[in-house]
Amino acid sequence: MNSFEVPSSTIDDLDISHSFEDNDERYFSEVVGHIEEIIMNENFQSIQQDFMEKHWTQFEDDEENRLIYTDIFKEYQNTVEKYIEKSLLEKMPHFDPNKFDEELSNRKFELEGEIFEMLSTFSNFISFKNMFIDYKKMKEEKLAELSFHISVLKYN
Amino acid sequence: MGFLTVLKKMKQKEKEIRILMLGLDNAGKTTILKRFNGEPIDTISPTLGFNIKTLEHKGFKLNMWDVGGQKSLRSYWRNYFECTDGLIWVVDSADKRRLEDCKKELYVLLQEERLAGATLLIFANKQDLPGACTVEELKDILDLESIKTHHWKIVSCSAVTGENLLKGIDWIVEDIAARIFTLD
Repeated sequence: MNSFEVPSSTIDDLDISHSFEDNDERYFSEVVGHIEEIIMNENFQSIQQDFMEKHWTQFEDDEENRLIYTDIFKEYQNTVEKYIEKSLLEKMPHFDPNKFDEELSNRKFELEGEIFEMLSTFSNFISFKNMFIDYKKMKEEKLAELSFHISVLKYN
Repeated sequence: MGFLTVLKKMKQKEKEIRILMLGLDNAGKTTILKRFNGEPIDTISPTLGFNIKTLEHKGFKLNMWDVGGQKSLRSYWRNYFECTDGLIWVVDSADKRRLEDCKKELYVLLQEERLAGATLLIFANKQDLPGACTVEELKDILDLESIKTHHWKIVSCSAVTGENLLKGIDWIVEDIAARIFTLD
């Protein structure tokens, strides 16, 4: 092997892998960006809001879970999955879950913060339950506040 | 592949293991779970729904699911089969009257396609009670040697004293890890 070939092939390899990395990086950020847009969009927020409004009274802040939570979780997954997939395909007609999957496997949890929390309610039952428990607390506080105001008005 | 499948696969990198714990009612499933998690076990009442505990063990994140075992609840077990890496079948070794029922329910599970790849640990629980069947007796009564479809092991234990719980969990985790994480 002469010393002339080695550096040139090394440079080629580097160039190729580097440009692949760039493309993959771009693809990954594009998908994540779209998902972020979709779930922060008010359409999605209202779908989720409706869903929680429909089911929150079923939830209790107990350690033991009721069997019905599992049905509600399935319904949530179906609703959310359908919506996100449909919206993703509208934004990226060539979206390929397999390619995205590959990209995810090459990364160690770069998704963080609000979007990650939201995504985890789609796949993780405990996050899903906690979302409902928080919602329930919020509703009950509001109701308590409301009844407080009502009683104040009544005596005025 | 759907979008959620992709999300679910993310967890594999985290070395998560999903374990489903089933058995007849009053076998001690919830007590095992709480005992293993270091929680008090003096106020446990029959499970009507399900419990989940996530615990770290030997570098793995174990998601343990415990579903109520009463007869009326058993038809719901199937809702929890998906993605199960390991099945823990808990037996009340002192409840000899119901061992036939116990055997019947176990064999129904073993035919379930979604549990086909799962490692099976049988906990011969309540060994602290007088008259509890030994592991050898249970092997015979439950006809365990006939199980060829799953990696299985029977371990005698007592959820009340904690005896052998770790031994059983260690085995199931090692068996699962050898199957699904060897490529790492």
